[in-house]
Amino acid sequence: MSPKPPAGASDSPALAPSRHTVPGRILLQIIQVWAWVFLALLILFFIVAVPLVSGSSVSFLSIRNSQNILVAITPVLLLGLGQTFVIISGGIDLSVGWVMSFASVLSALALRESFNAGLPLPLAVLAGFLAAIAGAGLIGLINGTIIARLKVPPFIVTLGMSFIVRGVALLMSENTTVIGLPRGVRDYGNESLFYLIGGEGGGLYFFTRPDVTGALLRRMDRIITYPVLLTAIVVGIAIYVLRRTKFGRHTYAIGGNREASIRAGVPVDKHVIRLYVLSAATAGIAGFLSMLRFTAGSAVIGDPLLLSSIAAVIIGGVSLFGGSGTIVGTIIGSLIIAVLTTGLVMLNVPSFWQFIVVGAVVILAVLIDQSRDAIRNRIESKR
Amino acid sequence: MKNVFKLGAGIAMAAMLSSGSAYAQEDTITIGFLPGVVDPFYQVMELGVNAAAESLGINVVTQVPPTWGVETQTPILDAMVARGDIDYLIIAPTDKDQMVGPLQNAVDAGIKVITVDTFLGDGDYKNGPVTFPLSAIGSDNVEGGRIAARGLAEAIGGEGKVYINSTNPNVSSVEDRATGFKEVMDNEYPGIEVVGLDFNLDDMNTAVQQTAATLERVPDLAGVFGTNVFSAQGAGTAVVNAGLGGAVQVVAYDATQFAIEQLREGVVSLVLAQKPYDMGYLAVQFAAADAGGVTSLPPRVETGFAIISRDNVDDPAVARFIYQVPE
Repeated sequence: MSPKPPAGASDSPALAPSRHTVPGRILLQIIQVWAWVFLALLILFFIVAVPLVSGSSVSFLSIRNSQNILVAITPVLLLGLGQTFVIISGGIDLSVGWVMSFASVLSALALRESFNAGLPLPLAVLAGFLAAIAGAGLIGLINGTIIARLKVPPFIVTLGMSFIVRGVALLMSENTTVIGLPRGVRDYGNESLFYLIGGEGGGLYFFTRPDVTGALLRRMDRIITYPVLLTAIVVGIAIYVLRRTKFGRHTYAIGGNREASIRAGVPVDKHVIRLYVLSAATAGIAGFLSMLRFTAGSAVIGDPLLLSSIAAVIIGGVSLFGGSGTIVGTIIGSLIIAVLTTGLVMLNVPSFWQFIVVGAVVILAVLIDQSRDAIRNRIESKR
Repeated sequence: MKNVFKLGAGIAMAAMLSSGSAYAQEDTITIGFLPGVVDPFYQVMELGVNAAAESLGINVVTQVPPTWGVETQTPILDAMVARGDIDYLIIAPTDKDQMVGPLQNAVDAGIKVITVDTFLGDGDYKNGPVTFPLSAIGSDNVEGGRIAARGLAEAIGGEGKVYINSTNPNVSSVEDRATGFKEVMDNEYPGIEVVGLDFNLDDMNTAVQQTAATLERVPDLAGVFGTNVFSAQGAGTAVVNAGLGGAVQVVAYDATQFAIEQLREGVVSLVLAQKPYDMGYLAVQFAAADAGGVTSLPPRVETGFAIISRDNVDDPAVARFIYQVPE
């Protein structure tokens, strides 16, 4: 692995365009955006292929389908979000899937019990949210403390923690599913900011679901559901924090060169602890949202998502060696996975093809990442 | 439980003293119960096992695997065999082929085996490849798929397009359900077309996404068969969010309280209940009967199904098949 540029100077440290020759710069820029290009080609492929295979009335590019994809990426994206910070810092968090399951159970219990104790529904939902964040954050705190203070490798700590959390979630939920949530919870997880009813008698509605039935209801699209809204807010904060704050700069610095960061006065141990709290907390939000969506806490809901979330982060160009990567990359990675799942079903192709494509793209991503470094080195050595 | 154990041990000792032999009598046997995984279905089965054992004064040792799979179930099985005090084992094998070896070891150790829910080989213990278990007590998943198909066909008026969302390929239970479902739709309902089958790999999020994509691909979809509760719940969520609640019928396999909650919420339209309580209760009675010298136990018992809809969910005759798990 070629050495990383001194980190902390820029949020996309792979590029320092002014120093490159023109063809090299163009090549580097294409490589820089390859994931965008791949996603665009993938969407284009499905736009063309879906009507050909499934009939001209079926469109991949419908409003409903785009909203479905946005909803579908939320869990993977939220898990990948904290993971992006952790991997940029040179660590890894293998516990996020199970922390999500745990938070789903914990928030369901908190919501149900606080509602039964007489809290109005919005406050009970808030209690569920706080329980998810606090419970998940506590696990992150334990992870981070053992990693930073006791110097146990993150792979081991978070692997061990994933087993522990899994056991706790199964014990707490008793039979894997926490039910009996109050009516109306479903709306928080499935209703939306806007409603669009296309065609005759339709219109655009804000904030309140129009009281329609039958054909109009069939045509109603939910635009920006609440889980998507909350995820977007969290993603926005994460982008800002990683790009513009000292917290973000320290994250890159630790992943780029840990020893140098210590000498530069970065509170490395404290920062690492905060990173694992952050990672667990975004997983906690994912658990909370899935609890709202399915109106139940599930001790297994996040189990299958860990590897998808890491794949999304890698496809997005975050180096497993630390020091580089962006949140936008992780969003692209999550989108590629979700677009594949939806598109393949719409083509009525076995969805297992998704794994083959995702796997190939993960390896391709790292190859491109490495060739980018090689190209940059060659350009720089020519000067 | 401890008292039952003491009582059992006492009776066993008395029996040994009086008869002068170590042969277990009807009221002295110990039964091991090893379900497939921790879930409401097996919890209700355990209630049946305990109820029968209590009425017969039989001691039961129960061990529940935390996850489904041969690699989890086998060590627990081996440990139960190693105890040396178990006469009968009531087990839901997690694989019809791979569990044959471990259970043969149990048989070699002098334990008699009764399978519940799932079975070994092809489930035919008379003429099939595996003959050592006493009996297979369970519901026929192919038949369950057929019943689900007829229920769905009736709900959509005998014509239209239907879709299957399932968990994993090559798992006998859900595979059989899909097979039975397709068989009925193909043979009995010429107006119904099965337009797709997707595997969500036990991920509810994926089930939603796949069903939503299918609703886009097949805008006139009339029904969905979820081969287990999570598949049906994911499918139902996609259907309701597409504004199709009530217009697209969703059938769920297994009457967990969660499934019933979703039925009342309108997310699923029909729930197919198995009878795990019957399976557990009958298995214990079979063990007791065998110990008591009964030789005509049927090698296969099918416990059947109940179909639960919003119309009959409050009817006590139907509601008793909801999997009521103690809090």
